Amino acid sequence: MSLSLTVDGERWRSHLLRTVRTHPGIVPVAKGNGYGLSVARLARRAQWLADHVDDTGAAVDMIAVGTYDEVAEAASRYAGDLLVLTPWRPFGAALDLDARISSRVVHTVSRPDDLTALREHDPDARFVLEQLTSMLRHGMTRRDLAAAATALGPGRSGLRGVAMHLPLNTTSHLGEVSRLINDVVASGLPTRTVFVSHLTEAELGRLATTYPDFTVRPRIGTDLWLGDRGALSVTATVLDVHEVERGDTFGYRGRSAPKQGHIVVVSGGTAHGIGLEAPTGDQSLKARAATLARGGLDAVGFVRSPFSIDGKQRLFAEPPHMQASMLFVPSGARVPRVGEDIEVRVRFTATDFDRVVIA
Amino acid sequence: MTTPLTLRPISTQQHRDLIASRSSASFLQTPGWASVKAEWRAESIGWFRGDEVVGAALVLYRQLPKVRRYLAYLPEGPVIDWSDDDLGSWLAPMVAHLKQQGAFAVRMGPPVVTRRWSAEQVKAGIADESVRRLGDVPPLDRTQDGARVIAQLHELGWQQQSAEGGFTAGQPQFNFQVPLVDENGQPRSEADVLAGMNQLWRRNIKKADKAGVEVALGDRTDLKSFHDLYVHTAERDHFTPRPLSYFETMYDALAAEDPGRIQVWLARHEGDLVAATIGIRVGTHAWYSYGASSTEKREVRGSNAVQWAMIRHALDAGAHVYDLRGITETLDSDDSHVGLIQFKVGTGGQAVEYAGEWDLPVNRAIYKAFQLYLARRG
Repeated sequence: MSLSLTVDGERWRSHLLRTVRTHPGIVPVAKGNGYGLSVARLARRAQWLADHVDDTGAAVDMIAVGTYDEVAEAASRYAGDLLVLTPWRPFGAALDLDARISSRVVHTVSRPDDLTALREHDPDARFVLEQLTSMLRHGMTRRDLAAAATALGPGRSGLRGVAMHLPLNTTSHLGEVSRLINDVVASGLPTRTVFVSHLTEAELGRLATTYPDFTVRPRIGTDLWLGDRGALSVTATVLDVHEVERGDTFGYRGRSAPKQGHIVVVSGGTAHGIGLEAPTGDQSLKARAATLARGGLDAVGFVRSPFSIDGKQRLFAEPPHMQASMLFVPSGARVPRVGEDIEVRVRFTATDFDRVVIA
Repeated sequence: MTTPLTLRPISTQQHRDLIASRSSASFLQTPGWASVKAEWRAESIGWFRGDEVVGAALVLYRQLPKVRRYLAYLPEGPVIDWSDDDLGSWLAPMVAHLKQQGAFAVRMGPPVVTRRWSAEQVKAGIADESVRRLGDVPPLDRTQDGARVIAQLHELGWQQQSAEGGFTAGQPQFNFQVPLVDENGQPRSEADVLAGMNQLWRRNIKKADKAGVEVALGDRTDLKSFHDLYVHTAERDHFTPRPLSYFETMYDALAAEDPGRIQVWLARHEGDLVAATIGIRVGTHAWYSYGASSTEKREVRGSNAVQWAMIRHALDAGAHVYDLRGITETLDSDDSHVGLIQFKVGTGGQAVEYAGEWDLPVNRAIYKAFQLYLARRG
């Protein structure tokens, strides 16, 4: 009766161990909807990875969460440090951290003023300084870093490293990373630890040889939790099937069937994220044309759905409802029986599953 | 607010005075070097704060074939305050001036150290199979000043010229240097410098001494003897020698600025010349610049003897650094350049990386054509 994510546990766990083994210093990322698996489950799994240090040779001493609101959920299931990726600001949830947890938190600081404010708020605070990258989201410029270095002085402080958040889809990050690391040296900050995201394995390898005196800590989410897609399958249950003739009306909006076939009602709707299209970021002309075409279809007829039956993607008979969707199966095709599970293609970061089954 | 910097051509004398006021500068930045590179038009330029000269450079203008456009080249320069966090205020008036002179691009080599490695680290790197380049070895130090220069040059639109592999891009980015002062700036003793060398070097210096090798400081008339041996070395080691006149011109130009600036060194064994070198010193920086050695009588270790004499001379002259000049970045034990590194590393001291050579295209179209021309020339 549900939209389910089924995980081949054996295969998934061995992928996790392999990923950690090949990325010493890894900081697993557990944020948002937990890549479909929930932050709580990922935090627990990160603890499991930390417990397998003898096997992987890589200590998992830190995980990254997205926001301060996610800290508590992860902290009760994982024993190590919690890096919060959203930069600290002198307002909001950052100030309401439970005192018992706050000593385990590593803050991200992206503005010189915030560094002062954070250290006033909590003199023992530990933090990384985020560098401004070509993304121009959050972060400090070279001169900001130099000012921070002056403010911190040469002695021990809460400084745990610098962080850079790199854009996706560029040819190579190495040029930018080299410049950013050079900026760290130029700033005089007493740290040689760099937290990076979105680097390929080859790029991480090059960084390690080019900066043998630096510790490069890769923040990895998607490639860790969802890196082996074959270990994950998403299914929806068929809840009902109705035969329709051409012209028969059905659904909330009283649409009419374009030809003879079946209306198949399946679990999974807008509450799960089904039918809510998340932008893919693909900017090619073809992708944009496809988006336009889908919009056009919506106006005059049926839209392709993420549900497929016997390997064939089926059309939505009408826009998805909160917890169920209606599909149209033209006559001639096999009609699934009630209770059968069919495949669904989803974006994990935008989907809430009713059930996650780790087999 | 400090007075803004201005820039204008200066006389040879003003140029000399500025260099003399500095602890050291590259000999490639002395006005005398212009006469060595007579095939290029040269100009001395000076930075002024008010009436005071606060920086200088030797600019060599290299003409592009067929057009009246030039690459303005400042080898191992300019001599400015590289620790300034506002390098733009120094470089902008320079570029404006060079553009007016017909430059389509500016190339310079900031004399700023970015990384250092100890002799032990280099030695361990050569022995380690997995290490291929000097950069693979964690450095003793990455300098904040060097990084700040590099960050600013990127910000100001300069482009770093790759020096990967060999000596292809102008002046060497990696050099080997023996510090002649300790961390507190106090002069090291001869015994201390000697103790810093590896066993082979110490043994060879002793061996040369026992064999009766005599090292002497020559004068201009000895350039002929140096050159004969240098041509012999070139044949043996397969490189193209420069003509005697090149060294004579260099000698005259540098000696005219300062009698101690250029030296010819000769090591003889029973009357036979077994090694000869040319050394240069500007202020507190002493360079081993050219060397030659005989194929006969290698066992008397003339090369080690002459180096040791030069080092002692540099110490006596109050130098802070004895510079053996370029090494390649490779630490691959199969590379033919590695022998040269091993020879230099034996002196103790440090491998030093400079910021390298940087270009600023002034006219992008011509600069692109120039790069194509260079690539085709190979």
